[in-house]
Amino acid sequence: MSAHTLIVAPFESLAFMRAALVACLALALANGVIGTLLVLRRMSLDGDVLGHAVMPGAAVGFLYAGPSPTWLSLGGLASGLAVAALAALVAGRQARRDAGLVAFYLVALSLGVVLVAWRGSNVDVMRVLFGTVLAIDQRALLQIAAASSIILLAIAALYRPLAVGAFDPAFLRAVGARAPYGLIFLALVVLALVVGFQAFGTLLAVGPMLLPAAAARCWGLGVASSMALATGFGMAASVAGLLVSYHANLPSGPAIVLAAGLLFGVSLIASNFWRRLVPMIGGRN
Amino acid sequence: MSGNSQAELNWHGMGRAVVRSVEEKEVDGEVRLRDVGVRYGRRVALEAVTGDFVAGSLTAVVGANGAGKSTLLAAIAGVVPLARGVVACAPRSRLAYLPQSAAIDRDYPLNVVELITLGGWREFGAFRSPGKGLRARAAEAAETVGLGGQLERSIGEISAGQLQRALFARLIVQDARVILLDEPFAAVDAQTMSVLLDQVSRWHAEGRTIIAVLHDLDVVRARFPSTLVLARRCVAWGRTELALPALAA
Repeated sequence: MSAHTLIVAPFESLAFMRAALVACLALALANGVIGTLLVLRRMSLDGDVLGHAVMPGAAVGFLYAGPSPTWLSLGGLASGLAVAALAALVAGRQARRDAGLVAFYLVALSLGVVLVAWRGSNVDVMRVLFGTVLAIDQRALLQIAAASSIILLAIAALYRPLAVGAFDPAFLRAVGARAPYGLIFLALVVLALVVGFQAFGTLLAVGPMLLPAAAARCWGLGVASSMALATGFGMAASVAGLLVSYHANLPSGPAIVLAAGLLFGVSLIASNFWRRLVPMIGGRN
Repeated sequence: MSGNSQAELNWHGMGRAVVRSVEEKEVDGEVRLRDVGVRYGRRVALEAVTGDFVAGSLTAVVGANGAGKSTLLAAIAGVVPLARGVVACAPRSRLAYLPQSAAIDRDYPLNVVELITLGGWREFGAFRSPGKGLRARAAEAAETVGLGGQLERSIGEISAGQLQRALFARLIVQDARVILLDEPFAAVDAQTMSVLLDQVSRWHAEGRTIIAVLHDLDVVRARFPSTLVLARRCVAWGRTELALPALAA
């Protein structure tokens, strides 16, 4: 089998593979920056919970209009933003926060599944849980591209306060930067999750966001370089996952998340090895 | 006292900041507290604190754990809302606040010079990059606190003492009129403490107002002319040799 048949032909011959590739690459652009900031702000669990917060709203959108990407997104956005605002309100009260988040995660997931199963079929439930990256139509593609552009522009504009707020929030408050940057960031996370939800479903949407960022973080780079590397990892995982799913006839979303997981595992081991090797050959850490 | 900057004073109280012009004659650099109270939920952290930190004064804030020392600094800095009373002090841009260093995430990918350069935040703000002049000032401040050779090291690699030196260098770059230090010498070695105390003395000599929460009473006696003893309320406030005995009482 030639390299062309292995890598290029699936995208060349099938329109749905091309659409899936473009969607995943656009998502990787947004997820690279959002995921890196989530990891740096130690908010991975919050990201996971917000991923599920999208579920009940998307389910209501489904009940109203069937599997329409627009209504799924609008419903998901509404419930995601409501939960993000709630999370920001109780952010100061750290006691029992993790238990509260997990309780919420379970309730949101169950409520969403019950609502979808009430009117829909098992296929609809699977679609909401794991996404349909190979069924991305032009409207969904435009939504993903638009949301990714908004996220990139917003992060570029708010980069410094978001970065400083991640490691020394007290300094940011003391110098008088009082805009609700944390809340704006949570809203951007919800937006990224809502568009990711169409491709990866509520269970996996946070995977392409966190895994490439966690993999990039292993290499001890600066914030901007970590974002670039996370984006690169996300794109590589998308291409690899789609090709593996095509050739091995496996579900695409999980294949992409597994590829990102593999990159994380390899980064974890290789970066440790690299850190030990560099002092031995006399380089600077 | 001259009264040339009354309108610049920033009054904040009852949970929100309001700027009022002040009728009495005051100077930039004075910090006035009137019936200041702070609550965390139902717990009273600070109540009925009234008094003035004179411009250019060097004051230690002492008291038992839970006496409200850190809360007082946070209230002056405007990072915790007041339950009652008012704080009048220099505008935020002329005030620097160093909380306890445990609040900083040291895993964050940032090097020493980048941390120090942040002191110039009010010059570049949220949207512009720090200029070359600011970077030069950051390098100079690092030299002053003995971190000249460490500029490119990550904040995760340096010791707790070196991190505290870097945070002092950030304060130097901030060039504030009022400096609030919360336990600045906790967890630092003797040599670092001596370097940092010398910097505090330099700030004092430059006429800045310094308010520091401290535990080491020998340091308070030796280097701080004024002391405020707190036990949620103000127990004693004045010259150190007169106020400090109230702590033991």
